[in-house]
Amino acid sequence: MEGALLSVENVSVYYHTPQGETEAVRDLSFQVQKGEFVAVVGPSGCGKTTMLSLIMGLNPPSKGQVSFPQGPCPMGYMLQRDNLLEWRTLEKNAILGLEVQHKLTEESRAKTVGLLKKYGLGDFLSHYPSQLSGGMRQKAALIRTLALDPEMLLLDEPFSALDYQTRLTLANEVFSIIRQEGKTALLVTHDIGEAVSMADRVLVFSDRPATLKREVVLDYPRGMTPLERRGTPAFQDHFAAIWKELER
Amino acid sequence: MNYSKEHAAYLRAIRTHGWTVGLCRVLVLVLLLGLWELGARLGWFDVFILSSPSRVLSAIGRLWGEGSLLIHVGVTLYETIMGFLLGTGLGILLAVLLWWLPFVNEVMDPYLVVLNALPKIALGPVLIVWIGAGMGSIIVMAVLISLVVTTVTVLSGFTAAAAEKQFLMRTLGASKGQTFVKVVLPAGVPHMMSALKISVGMSWVGVIVGEYLVSKSGLGYLIVYGGQVFKLDLVMASVVILCVLAALMYGAVALLEKRFRK
Repeated sequence: MEGALLSVENVSVYYHTPQGETEAVRDLSFQVQKGEFVAVVGPSGCGKTTMLSLIMGLNPPSKGQVSFPQGPCPMGYMLQRDNLLEWRTLEKNAILGLEVQHKLTEESRAKTVGLLKKYGLGDFLSHYPSQLSGGMRQKAALIRTLALDPEMLLLDEPFSALDYQTRLTLANEVFSIIRQEGKTALLVTHDIGEAVSMADRVLVFSDRPATLKREVVLDYPRGMTPLERRGTPAFQDHFAAIWKELER
Repeated sequence: MNYSKEHAAYLRAIRTHGWTVGLCRVLVLVLLLGLWELGARLGWFDVFILSSPSRVLSAIGRLWGEGSLLIHVGVTLYETIMGFLLGTGLGILLAVLLWWLPFVNEVMDPYLVVLNALPKIALGPVLIVWIGAGMGSIIVMAVLISLVVTTVTVLSGFTAAAAEKQFLMRTLGASKGQTFVKVVLPAGVPHMMSALKISVGMSWVGVIVGEYLVSKSGLGYLIVYGGQVFKLDLVMASVVILCVLAALMYGAVALLEKRFRK
């Protein structure tokens, strides 16, 4: 571990609506180390997504602070749905972020196309999103994020809109892409199996207002893929432990 | 290609169905025109009031002979196209402006609703006083009718344009302008196309009503004039020409839509 990339300290978030004030997050503290894969699980609507937009800097916390001890940390956000633009080809979709940030050069384009090719989308560069399967679309969305070369990836239930089989395969692929590209990742999900099979560490959140209930460090041998992990007894144990924690 | 017998039969059935529908459509027209002509010849009704297909044709021939057919058609077509282009152009521009300034949009909303509900035709006399009894009033009438409906339709397309995609643009660090150009505008194209289709019909309504009120030429003028002097042949002839023109213009817009949707 090379030190904390992200540090969340005593953060609380309140939501304001005309009906009143809702406490979405309460006194939350955790850190994410460089190169780590951290998963956050919790019941639906417990403020996990609120926390991500907080980290992304889209909304400020009501109390506490979010800091990046190693200096500014470029982040990429991956949503539940791929949100590829239907009128753009796969390649044009992948370079959307580069275009927006005026970073589109011959070099950056070639690098992005390289990523698409490397991860099995090379034959579909000039296809439109509607011609691709859900899994491929979501992978293209990941590469759109990677094109901007973020230090840390925020994954907001990125597999929950997919069918079960695609979900398992894609989780495997995304995991290996993130490892190969050497990214730090923070995955938010309500799927315990997903968290336990992908992460190095799982943070269990309580129901709203979200607080950190428990932290589970997963001690799989290094280099195991999510699918392989699912077959181990350790997976079952962790799964059961987190399930119990959420039940309480 | 080699298909199974079953698939070949299926394809044949689709083709037959298409043919049958097309044939029946033509038959309906032929039957109606035939009955109309037959009734006129056999004296089932007074041709003076109901006219007949052959009399309509000869009325069109007469207009052509006098050399006034093209003038009337030209005037009406010009007014309609101007009204359509200005109405949709300004309407889309207004929708962009209202999307860009949500506060103004919120303030203007009830006014837009009232304007949309108001029969713009009621403003006819006002327009004549303000602009004068001429082509200007007619075009402005067409613009008014198509403008409001275009604004409302296109704006709803813009605001519906995938909130999540706009959020995505924020996470990529896009400015409002970039979000508009790269997401909102292209996502609004289908709405703009349906606005164009509605607007075409609206422009015709505006122009014909305008011509009823003030004109000295044009198809609307011919209809009113024909009615006043009881030349029903002329009225029917004008309506038939109008049908053809309106269908052609709608077809052109539909063709444009097809190209854009590709």
